[in-house]
Amino acid sequence: MSNVSNVPPRGLFARLFEPPRIGAMAPGAKFIVYTLLLAWSAFVLFPIYWLLITSVKSAADVNGGPVYIPFVDFIPSLHAWRELFVVDYADTLRAYVNSIIISLAATALAVLIGSMAAYALARIRYQPNLITILLFVLVMAAALFAIGSYGVDWRLVLVVGVGIFYFLSKAVASRVHVPLANGDILFWMISQRILAPIVVVVPIYMMFQSVRMLDTHLAIILTYAVVNLPIVIWLMYDFFNSIPKDLEESAQLDGATMIMTFREIVLPLSRAGLAATTLLVMILCWNEYLLALFLSTAKAQTMPILVAAMNAGERGILWWSMSVVIIVMIIPVVFMAIVLQRYISKGVLLGAVKG
Amino acid sequence: MTSTTGRVVNSQPGYLPADNSQPPSRRFRFNEWLDGHARQLFITPAVVMILIFSIFPLVASLIIAFSRVRLKAGGYQVRFVGFQNFSKQIFGSEQFHFLGTFTSLTFLGWAVALSATGAILWWMFRYITTGFSVVGFIGRLITALVILGISWMFAATFFSGNPFGTLGVTLFYVFIGCAIQFIIGLALAFLCSQPIRGRNFFRVVFFIPMMITPIGVGYLFRMMADTTKGPFSPAWQWFGLNDFAWAANPWTARLFIIIGDSWQWIPFIFIILLAAFENIPRDYVEAGQVDGASNWQIFREISWPQVMPVAVTVMLIRVIEGFKIVDLPNIMTSGGPGIATESMSLHSLFAWRSLDLGQSAAIAYLLLFVTVVICVSFFNLIVVNRMRRI
Amino acid sequence: MNTDMTSASETDTLASDAKRLSIRKMNKHYGEFHAVKDLDIEVEPGEFLVLLGPSGCGKSTALRMIAGLEEITSGEVIMGDRDVTHVLPKYRDIAMVFQSYALYPHKTVAENIGFPLKVTGVPEEQRNKAVFDAAAQVQMETLLERFPRELSGGQRQRVALARAIIRRPSAFLMDEPLSNLDAKLRGFMRAELKHMQHELGVTTIYVTHDQIEAMTLAHRVAIMKDGELQQLGTPAEVYTNPVNLFVAGFMGSPPMNFLEGNVSESGLQVGNDKIPLDGVEDGMAITLGFRPEDASVVEAGQGRFDAMVYTAEMTGDLTLVTVKHGSSILTIKMPKDFMVDYNQNVGIQFDSELSYLFSTGDGARLKANVVDS
Ligand SMILES: Nc1ncnc2c1ncn2[C@@H]1O[C@H](COP(=O)(O)OP(=O)(O)O)[C@@H](O)[C@H]1O
Ligand SMILES: [Mg+2]
Repeated sequence: MSNVSNVPPRGLFARLFEPPRIGAMAPGAKFIVYTLLLAWSAFVLFPIYWLLITSVKSAADVNGGPVYIPFVDFIPSLHAWRELFVVDYADTLRAYVNSIIISLAATALAVLIGSMAAYALARIRYQPNLITILLFVLVMAAALFAIGSYGVDWRLVLVVGVGIFYFLSKAVASRVHVPLANGDILFWMISQRILAPIVVVVPIYMMFQSVRMLDTHLAIILTYAVVNLPIVIWLMYDFFNSIPKDLEESAQLDGATMIMTFREIVLPLSRAGLAATTLLVMILCWNEYLLALFLSTAKAQTMPILVAAMNAGERGILWWSMSVVIIVMIIPVVFMAIVLQRYISKGVLLGAVKG
Repeated sequence: MTSTTGRVVNSQPGYLPADNSQPPSRRFRFNEWLDGHARQLFITPAVVMILIFSIFPLVASLIIAFSRVRLKAGGYQVRFVGFQNFSKQIFGSEQFHFLGTFTSLTFLGWAVALSATGAILWWMFRYITTGFSVVGFIGRLITALVILGISWMFAATFFSGNPFGTLGVTLFYVFIGCAIQFIIGLALAFLCSQPIRGRNFFRVVFFIPMMITPIGVGYLFRMMADTTKGPFSPAWQWFGLNDFAWAANPWTARLFIIIGDSWQWIPFIFIILLAAFENIPRDYVEAGQVDGASNWQIFREISWPQVMPVAVTVMLIRVIEGFKIVDLPNIMTSGGPGIATESMSLHSLFAWRSLDLGQSAAIAYLLLFVTVVICVSFFNLIVVNRMRRI
Repeated sequence: MNTDMTSASETDTLASDAKRLSIRKMNKHYGEFHAVKDLDIEVEPGEFLVLLGPSGCGKSTALRMIAGLEEITSGEVIMGDRDVTHVLPKYRDIAMVFQSYALYPHKTVAENIGFPLKVTGVPEEQRNKAVFDAAAQVQMETLLERFPRELSGGQRQRVALARAIIRRPSAFLMDEPLSNLDAKLRGFMRAELKHMQHELGVTTIYVTHDQIEAMTLAHRVAIMKDGELQQLGTPAEVYTNPVNLFVAGFMGSPPMNFLEGNVSESGLQVGNDKIPLDGVEDGMAITLGFRPEDASVVEAGQGRFDAMVYTAEMTGDLTLVTVKHGSSILTIKMPKDFMVDYNQNVGIQFDSELSYLFSTGDGARLKANVVDS
């Protein structure tokens, strides 16, 4: 009955693909693994190396065909760095500061609001009425149509709309109740991530235009925060669900309010989850281009816009300067990753993905 | 502790007496009020923000998609035009741009169209005969119609030798791109989970591309792929391709965009699948070893089933994000040659640039529709099914 | 015993198949850390050997080296007449039961049990029959279609056992297989396990930190401490004849009582009393040990020494009297109707034949004994 062949196979294949020792890897497998991993490292690192050397190349070195090794193939020069940080430092610095303010604020906002909502969904039972929601969307559509087609003043529409909605929800929604559950709210919130920025950006643009907020930090911060809310809610919901309720319950027995419990117990316990979420949202905000392109024109321009700005029309693309911008953009992200690294246990993203 | 009146008095500061002889402080009342409204307080900010920045624009976009928008002094003039914007994309003068150029179907085109139709009909038939629910049927019907439409579109364009439009390009990016990214990301994660030296080095290196702004990646790969000044230009010349312009050929241009996209997004898949591999209890693998399983059997029978639920969800996320692709084709090729690399997001962006807001919104809505149908189908038909089996 | 003809004959063939397992001078280093030191054990064919020791003493490491899951730093493992020291686990023909059971969550009970046969390419039909037989042996044949998450702890344990026996390996290795079960189930599964090992007659190495499990299951017990084998012998041997202080203190529940002191005038001074000793030199630091059941509580002044009652606990079948003497706490087993007041002075009597003397410094058993006064 024992079908296990007790005899280890011999031959070339076995010698290559059977571990020579226990706990070791087969030489063939080792060779394949290292080859593949090193090949992929090269594929990842070479473009970055190219970026680094391009940033210290002169225009002639870039345009005269490829040169590879500084000091051997070409004499590196810091002209592009100088240009950006000495000559044009005002523009560079502004974009940099803008990017930092916007991504920090947007991340903080998204993480705060998102984790509050996630916590509420994980711990409190909600039963919103589907009818109220449908009424709301209907009234909103009508209001927008009135503004768009007939040019009614938006303030007037807002007041009337709120009134009508209030009346209708009293009249209809209190009688017909189609309750939704927490799962529905969660799904609704997370599914907002499906929206491509292009679907919503034009109305957002018009909205900010009508309140004269285009090209302000606040406009971009709010937009980024909302775009990333679904990610925060999704990751943090899972994280909060994995925290045992005992600690919160004991805090409540001690008389803590829900806000205190959240601030004193839940948030400190969720540091790992918050760190992972923050890092992810931060990266997304920091690197975002399309929305910034719509919402900023000059004052609030962020770094990705500056990258694109190096494509300077008739002079062609300033590859050297662009490389500098891309490199200085990577630095804060790496810094963030290092700072948050120790809070990030490897399982955080995994937990949410496991569903 | 117990006073003569029998009232319990706690000597600790900050303790509220049981009777209300002293009015509670204003701060305390505020906190009480906050606590009473915590239900709403916690969730309202998120709901309001999503309503203002997602739902409102979504509704507004829908209205714009059914309208013709004109700029006029101090505002917009919105005129309702019904399905005109959509029909222009699907049947009208923009059909070539959105769907592709249609001539008659070639033999191959017919073959593809008919076999796809057959497969879908059979799938629907099987569903109706095995189990049936109204919601399930409607859901499947929508899925079937969208997939049917897409397969006929590809049959009439790609398989009949015609160029396809931005819908086809987007689907190409999403499915071919995500498939490549998934396979490579999975392979790298598996390799990195082996007991090798330098794991942390590889883990850090492989993560780097995700930190670079997509627009930077676009330019970077444009540099890389330059046939005269890029690092590989000697190789191009050696192959005699020095005056070959990859950007002028639809397929090479698409290929380069997929390479850039993969470079950027494989790290995401890699990092999560690596965590999934490392999360497999060591006992499972060891039990397999003792039971005589080969390495391949351990991967196939033990590791992969453990990782698969994660893999499916990661792919769902990646597909959702993949549909949004815009920066790379915008930077690397500006959608060219012609419209060969133009994704739907880019198509919509271009329409907006030419101030055709109605068209722009209509395309955006078509993108949303396709994304939702495909993602929901993927979720309901694959993820839920798989989860149930595990 | 199973009266069924086929299983009876199978049992016979299997028993004769049983292999001797020799572990010779086995060492394991984790860098600087020496986890297993010169382990030398001969496991007889069909023997049930228990590796016993406190947690962290290197039992699992030793077992994993025998399984081939961990590389051996030096020494050898020989199964039957075959040196398997450097053979991969899959070629060793062993089965292992893990503490966590390591049941694959995505496979049904049947698939889990059949996995060892599946990977070796046994045809499906034959496999299904074997799965059914193995499951029947652990009374799991009705739950074959369930997933592990739908089973109770004891049922999971049985599935893990079935997966181990299906292949009829030449040795079973078990790493604390019962430690995740509740006390009652553990006792029950212990009996089942012992019965099954007897039926199958497969050489078994079983790791545990629970000395009761070791005593009840083992043909022989190997007691380890800090990676070193302390004593190897039958349960009775290690209980009645411990070679050192560690073994004496580890076996038995409640544990052996110890009194420490220095020898003066050929005796051990305990409070006002003196216990005369033979075979010791004055000035030696020694530890005197006796088991709770080999002593009794008597009137003050009537025993070998006096002590004060600390608590008395009724366990049902007997009364455990805890007395305090200086800093030592001693436990005596007395009949269940024994009554005593707290803080009362009592005398402690113990049997000189059943007392042990150890050198306090290295814990070695001394060739010395208590003299009856
Ligand atoms: N991979 C390892 N690296 C370093 N030390 C280890 C490793 N595995 C186990 N040890 C150490 O070896 C000792 C014995 O461990 P183990 O065999 O698991 O003990 P136990 O007897 O409880 O099963 C422990 O002190 C443990 O810390
Ligand atoms: Mg152990």
